[in-house]
Amino acid sequence: MKRKKIVRFVVLPLLVIIAGVAFYIYKEYNRTHKDTSKIKPDYEVTANSLLTEFGSNETASNKKYWDKVLRVEGPVKEVLQDDKGFYSIVLGDTASLSSVRCSVDSSHSAEAGSLQKGTIIAVKGICSGYNADELLGSDVILVRSVVDQKK
Amino acid sequence: MKKMILFLMVPVLFAGPLCAQKFFTKTGTIGFDATTSSSPEKIEGKNRSATCVMDTKNGAIQFAVLMKGFAFERALMEEHFNENYVESHKFPKAEFKGKVKDAEQIDFSKDGTHTVKVKGDLTMHGQTKEVETTGKLVIQGGKVNANASFNVKLSDFDISIPGLVSDKVSKSAIITVACTMEPLKN
Repeated sequence: MKRKKIVRFVVLPLLVIIAGVAFYIYKEYNRTHKDTSKIKPDYEVTANSLLTEFGSNETASNKKYWDKVLRVEGPVKEVLQDDKGFYSIVLGDTASLSSVRCSVDSSHSAEAGSLQKGTIIAVKGICSGYNADELLGSDVILVRSVVDQKK
Repeated sequence: MKKMILFLMVPVLFAGPLCAQKFFTKTGTIGFDATTSSSPEKIEGKNRSATCVMDTKNGAIQFAVLMKGFAFERALMEEHFNENYVESHKFPKAEFKGKVKDAEQIDFSKDGTHTVKVKGDLTMHGQTKEVETTGKLVIQGGKVNANASFNVKLSDFDISIPGLVSDKVSKSAIITVACTMEPLKN
């Protein structure tokens, strides 16, 4: 009788807890990145205003935008594909050297490949910061980007 | 006379693209690999938006990369890399400023492969250390392909590995650089 009670009130709950923890660790360990297309953006901005903001105060802008999901609207300056097949979408004015450069999430490559230069699109991505360069033009970089379909 | 002028102009017209002095890319790939033989899996992140500029006249070469841009396969690994190791919220950028030795002896207008020595200062996690390595420059069709890899001791950059995983994560990381640079028109 006593033994049964121990099993029922101690061993069984303990097993459940251990199984729960193990399951949580397993899930956490194998967690993949969230699909950016399914995340609501923290900020919605145009490519030009984002560049102006970073250009005038990098520290404050980094504080505001870094690691946040941004939806950036602007004209497609260039669509690049590297030798491994990864796409980058470059948004901004062709007259300016500076742009918002978005590395495209590899599971969304197809959408990037079909983009036309000059069309105005919106890209959703995670802001990884600002690369200031006088010679080459300063860029805001977005990673794990996806083309945001017009709603 | 007109023909003469035209004849004289030909080399001037072609001089620009042939003797580009600077090459650059904004889509260079930088890899960070801290896998050890006892790691249960690959601990490797790749950043595909590195900026690189090289001046062929004096061999000056420069890289800049945003730490947050390193993509790891597992979300948890990427979070640990950013939050616990390189603290990218505090030190968002890594930079290398150095020189390609004897760059002036390379003819950048001709296709070819050159093994070069690169030496310079690497700044990461707020620390600067001198690094030196051998790299390869492949000139093909007016573009320059730069490839190199070097080993850095994480403790040199004040990056500590928590005791719990210290045998799973390498004490040093292999940094690989692969970028295709185009001539800079200015």
